[in-house]
Amino acid sequence: MNIDRRTFLKDASILLAGMSLAPALQPGFAEALETLASGRAPLLWLQGLSCSGCSVSLINSESPGPADLITRYLSLYFHQTLSAATGKVAMETLSKAIDQGGYILAVEGAVPSGMPEACMIGEKSFNDLLLESARKAQAVVSVGTCASFGGIPAAPPNPTGALSVAEFFTKHKLNIPLINLPGCPAHPGWIVGNLAYLLKVGIPEVDDHKRPIKTYGKLLHDQCQNFAQYQKMNFVVTPGEEGCLFKLGCQGVITHADCPMRGWNGGINWCVKANAPCAGCARPEFARDKNFAFYRLNEQKNLENGG
Amino acid sequence: MTKLIIDPVTRIEGHLRIETEIAGGKVTAAYSSGEMFRGFEQIMSGRDPLDAPIITQRICGVCPVSHAIASTSCLEDALKLQVPANGHLLKNLILGANYLQSHIMHFYQLSALDFLDVEAILAYNGNEPALRELKGWVEGELKSNHILPAAPFLPRISGKYPANHQWNTRLLKHYLEALEIRRESHKMAAIFGGKIPHVASVIPGGVTSGAGVGSIEDFRGRLRTIRRFIENSYLPDVMATAKQFPQYLKAGRGVQNFLSFGVFQEQNSLWLPGGTVTQGKFVPLDIDKISEDIGFSRYTNDSGGHPSNSKTQPEPHKANAYSWIKAPRYDNQSFEVGPLARMTVAYHADVQPVRERLDALLHEVGGKLSDLPSVFGRHATRALEASLVAERMENWLDNLVPGAISVANYTPSQEGRGVGLTEAPRGALGHWIEFKAGKITHYQCLVPSTWNFSPRDSYKRPGPVETAIEGAQVNETDRGLEVVRIVRSFDPCIACAVH
Repeated sequence: MNIDRRTFLKDASILLAGMSLAPALQPGFAEALETLASGRAPLLWLQGLSCSGCSVSLINSESPGPADLITRYLSLYFHQTLSAATGKVAMETLSKAIDQGGYILAVEGAVPSGMPEACMIGEKSFNDLLLESARKAQAVVSVGTCASFGGIPAAPPNPTGALSVAEFFTKHKLNIPLINLPGCPAHPGWIVGNLAYLLKVGIPEVDDHKRPIKTYGKLLHDQCQNFAQYQKMNFVVTPGEEGCLFKLGCQGVITHADCPMRGWNGGINWCVKANAPCAGCARPEFARDKNFAFYRLNEQKNLENGG
Repeated sequence: MTKLIIDPVTRIEGHLRIETEIAGGKVTAAYSSGEMFRGFEQIMSGRDPLDAPIITQRICGVCPVSHAIASTSCLEDALKLQVPANGHLLKNLILGANYLQSHIMHFYQLSALDFLDVEAILAYNGNEPALRELKGWVEGELKSNHILPAAPFLPRISGKYPANHQWNTRLLKHYLEALEIRRESHKMAAIFGGKIPHVASVIPGGVTSGAGVGSIEDFRGRLRTIRRFIENSYLPDVMATAKQFPQYLKAGRGVQNFLSFGVFQEQNSLWLPGGTVTQGKFVPLDIDKISEDIGFSRYTNDSGGHPSNSKTQPEPHKANAYSWIKAPRYDNQSFEVGPLARMTVAYHADVQPVRERLDALLHEVGGKLSDLPSVFGRHATRALEASLVAERMENWLDNLVPGAISVANYTPSQEGRGVGLTEAPRGALGHWIEFKAGKITHYQCLVPSTWNFSPRDSYKRPGPVETAIEGAQVNETDRGLEVVRIVRSFDPCIACAVH
């Protein structure tokens, strides 16, 4: 279908309004919008205080597979782990993308708000680069628990003053459509599914923690394969046994995610199926409380009494 | 003298800056800077000891299994837990699966774009569907008005890319296949690990998932597919780089001191042994000879020393410091770690089939043992190791006893101290723990890329990568292609190196 530019821009603005994205601020948006209209998401991916686990998880995507993801679904302007561009060319690529604007900004990792020197990219602090690129984004997607809630870098004593992306934006009075996709790492299905939704429909419905309800609306415990074991009070006391892991410290009862239904790595397995308690890695409070141990095996009395 | 700064070095794990000084077409000095700090060791303090494997895995999303194993090993040491045979085999299999995904991803996704011309796809006339699709996509992108057509494959740094059309398209095809093969390796890890990145089932005492007949054969089926790719594509591609780029049998020598902590527990010994090799001589490991220097690292002056009792206190504005990476030294020298070091140590410790296979590999390219410390040697030993590990994994699968116990009974203790040594895909990894009154009082990690990417120490002795870049021939009009080829041959993991 051939449409003239004027019609295209008109359609694109309707598309944008429907997506409840930020209004187009720059004339340069047109190209990004064309990419959007062609069914691909112009995506800029930045890494802060991260372990690259969410990037590795992204390319574990089952369907669409990683090659299709890069060429058919996304227009991946820049990604530190995948881009051919390196050094000065990488920084020029970033500037080009930011100058144009209109992309979806994916952020992996927490923000070292109290110590900008703790993350530097091309002689710029990640903090500055994040603000600069967010101001020109259509929407921001915080990928993983570090970007969504601070995660392990923000655990006490929080040596770098790490904040989540949303907290950092609030601190800098930046108001931009944002969704959180927690998980350590985020499941590729959560990332790809929500990017596709963002692209085809708009900002998904989210809860108070800005998590898409479709993905994070249910308690893990309610969907767990061991729910019947829990009801029968068949609790595991020795690791490696089968049964409900609640008394070992399983956080399925306070974690919102669809792991039991979706499974990990192509649905092959997930933590509880491997007889390991849920560590609550998608929780806003993941790893943040020193006194809330992942395993309760050191609480001698608790186990001797069977709870 | 001109300066060439490569910042950020992309297609690696993490945030790395390389600064070089160039005179007369040669690098005269190089500086390696780790640019991201989180403070894991401080975060560990005051926590339940059993938190350690869960938290420290998150140091790295590329090699979490290695951290899980180092961390559970130091707790097994502290608590005197005897891991059952199935537990060791399962740990080896999960770790082996992650070696394969890491090595394959390193060559294709992270390194290959330095050794192939992406634009060669435009001249492709063959019938391979994946390549025809890729050609159509690149053509469409270049004709479009997109600001960054064919990203993330373009733009790239200028330099001399190979003209051999067959080579370029073969490597591109394998780039696409490797995406699926590395994902398959992760599925293999998840069969016993629960999920990955960041596995759930590896705990002090063993592996909670256990092994059944079905899961063993599921694992084996996937392993077969991956092995075919290693033997038919990965290893031959790496060997062919010796012909395409003969200069890389010489470039990037480095310090030529090699260290391995040893890895893959089999009954009473490690399959790949620990030790050091200096000037072709094998010496058993003595971990008391390790010391971390912080002369040019952004930590307080009392942060150095042996990891069993050192600390990590950041000092972001420290004068003259240029990296968040500490400078580990062994017997006061810089040591290279990684597949080249593991294979070199195993070779000189007379481990078969390492010796035989390495001799055959060198024979094939007409090289000598002394050619191995090089860009080619690092890629080649990594690919060879993938082949050897994948082969060994079949034995570990055979030795698993379906349904047998795979976790030791846990015996809590209020205090203890321990050390856990292993090898990550990128080299020697150690965790040191001490806990009192049920809480961690000391935790230190000594990580592979800390060795390789270390800055200068207090005596101004450069680290292994800094040494490998010095002397490199560079074309002053290019923007660092020669340098990044050397840097990437070490498979940098900077989130690990600093943590």
